[in-house]
Amino acid sequence: MTLEFSHSAPLTVGIELELMILSTHDWNLMRGAEDLLRLIEKEGHAGDIKPEITESMIEISTSVHTDCAAMLAELRGMRDIVVRNARRLNLAISGGGAHPFQHWSEQRIFPKERFVRLHEMYGYLAKQFTVFGQHIHVGIGSGDEAIYLLHLMSRYMPHFIALSASSPFSQGADTAFDSSRLNSINAFPLSGTMPFVADWNEFNAYFDTMRDLKVVESMKDFYWDIRPKPEYGTIEIRVCDTPLTVERAVLLGAYAQALARHLTLDRPRQPSQDVYRVYSYNRFTASRYGLEAGFIDAYTRERRSLREDIAATLAEVAPHAQALGCASAIAEIDGLLKTGQTDCGWLRETYAKTGSLGSVVRLQSELWAGAQRNPTPS
Amino acid sequence: MDDIGILPSFPFAASTLMLVGAILLFGLAAGELVTRLFRLPRITGFVAAGLLLGPDVSGVLDSAVLSELSIFADISLGLILFELGRRLNLRWFVHDPWLLASSLGESLLSFLFVYASLRFFDLEPLYAATAAAIAMATSPAVLIMIVNEQRAKGPLTERMMALTALNNVYAFLLLALLFGFVHLEHSAGGLRVVLHPLYMIAGSVGLGFLAFVIARTFARWLGKREDAQFAMLLGLIVGTVGCAISFNLSVLLALLAFGVFAKNLDRNHDLMAVEFGPGAQFFLVMLFVITGAGLQPSELAIAGLIGAAFVAARLAGKMLGIVLFAPLSGLARSKAMLLGVGMVPMSAIAVVMVQGASALYPEFGARLSAIVLSAVVILELVGPLATQWALRRSGEAAPQSGSGA
Repeated sequence: MTLEFSHSAPLTVGIELELMILSTHDWNLMRGAEDLLRLIEKEGHAGDIKPEITESMIEISTSVHTDCAAMLAELRGMRDIVVRNARRLNLAISGGGAHPFQHWSEQRIFPKERFVRLHEMYGYLAKQFTVFGQHIHVGIGSGDEAIYLLHLMSRYMPHFIALSASSPFSQGADTAFDSSRLNSINAFPLSGTMPFVADWNEFNAYFDTMRDLKVVESMKDFYWDIRPKPEYGTIEIRVCDTPLTVERAVLLGAYAQALARHLTLDRPRQPSQDVYRVYSYNRFTASRYGLEAGFIDAYTRERRSLREDIAATLAEVAPHAQALGCASAIAEIDGLLKTGQTDCGWLRETYAKTGSLGSVVRLQSELWAGAQRNPTPS
Repeated sequence: MDDIGILPSFPFAASTLMLVGAILLFGLAAGELVTRLFRLPRITGFVAAGLLLGPDVSGVLDSAVLSELSIFADISLGLILFELGRRLNLRWFVHDPWLLASSLGESLLSFLFVYASLRFFDLEPLYAATAAAIAMATSPAVLIMIVNEQRAKGPLTERMMALTALNNVYAFLLLALLFGFVHLEHSAGGLRVVLHPLYMIAGSVGLGFLAFVIARTFARWLGKREDAQFAMLLGLIVGTVGCAISFNLSVLLALLAFGVFAKNLDRNHDLMAVEFGPGAQFFLVMLFVITGAGLQPSELAIAGLIGAAFVAARLAGKMLGIVLFAPLSGLARSKAMLLGVGMVPMSAIAVVMVQGASALYPEFGARLSAIVLSAVVILELVGPLATQWALRRSGEAAPQSGSGA
């Protein structure tokens, strides 16, 4: 059986965000997905707001967008619905890639068949997987195009890691990583990258083999950093931590969209295995040092700072962002490079100011609900 | 004659400390036993141990010893009420006014049902109203203890805590008001009718506020150091309990107010969320053993049918109130039933309230105590089981260790 690659409008974009459900008492993760979803359903928003593997996580996903302003408006609306209903339950919601001090063994699994099966299969890994990511879908016309775009996009994954990183704290300690979340994903047997297949037929052959060997049942079992999503007709970028605000989440979506337009229209390079040879190194330094990381360009074999590489890429994609109506997003990311005001930095600063991770989570949830970014000195 | 002074004289007097140690160990063992043998909550074991040791059964702990030990019970209550108050997020009621409605509903209905059933047994209105007011309150101690023991977390648990904090406040306010009428009944001076309730309410809340202001100032000076803040809070809680007793104020209201202020007025979040942890277990065991010793099963025989009617009417009122209103505030109907069951434990604070009444007017207290105390006997033993069942059934209790991990 071959996977059919659905047609979707090229260069459209959609975002999924996994969010934390928090207790307003101790700011730890709190079960509440079931009640929260029930309240939200009453408002008629089923479908795009879903449960995730643990009961202290909820996922919101946007519809398909061409325009990032419309996406931001939709996402703000969804955020407000979730926050309002959470408040009715005395819960709080926040972004961030990992909860700073929850202990994995306290997590409980959402009683949905697929999640229970995952827990049986992966044991404590499934619970340690209580991390929160942003997934970006970019629409693409065909399976072959998807494979091409995916290989070219792989080079840029460190950009997305550094720009989204928001999980410096884990299990109550500073991990020294900007994105500790990525380390939790590495433990899974099917994490990493897609094999270096040339086109959609070759991909299908690979997938069939893996399924015949009973390694996987469906595409969902691959936890790759980018994977094709044939039923949506998209490629899905999965390396991002959930940012602390919806505004940041949309910036990342707009960047992915502009980059995809650049790569598919300008065709600046051909897929290369070299990208995957340096991939883990680049991915590691980006998750460890964020924007301060080093970066190896597999095509030019040069070493430069990740910040420089992002800045250069922003210049390349700027005209495409313009064409897509998202020029302001690219300008904002450029500003972010200069000021260095990343989410990860905000979390560390807030901890330094407040001296308690509980306070960090509280302010994080206020930021998510729409508060100003500069933390009050409390 | 050959008394060389280093050996204790015989028979040696049991010191209070020896007694405290023995009570603790005995209570702990009883708690473990009922859990292991019958899978009952530990509290039931603590209370049963107290009951066995108490004046009504074996008499190991007579009332003189009990009043000496009451200091431990007071400290534990202080810790529990502060903790409960600190979990009461007042903004929740703004975001979900139906929660307040369900709180008022369950309290009002349990009051009305109990009042009506007692009137049916020809109890005078003032007695019936006082007993019904006491019936409104759910036991904060049992709730906090079961929640900790089951490591329960979730929306149902949160609601139980909030409703319990509130129904204790209602019960207290109503009682303070009724005491005014009791004064009137006993033809005390007109001023006393008004002043006593006013003093109790304003004084207790004021004391709680004072404790909060001191805590916040102290915490700013200490900084975010959990161990230091823990000791500071403990000191303030114990001190506040002491002040409330000395000034004839309400320990319940003062400590609850302290907790509520700490949660809701600490805008800069100077106070850290402190967990009292395993150390609190000592106080909790003492509290429940002492509570058990204070129970008087003999009252059961005297009160008989009225006691049973009291328990049934109270349960019916609470269940109906919650099932009617809770679903409007975002709780699934199936969970509303569980919430009602979870609210069953009756406050041993009721005992204190009755004692308060007896101290003022012995005859009034005696008539009340048979009814209320017999209900307390039943509910102290059954209540913890109900709450535990509700939390497990809802899935909010942590899975039992050893099963499936």
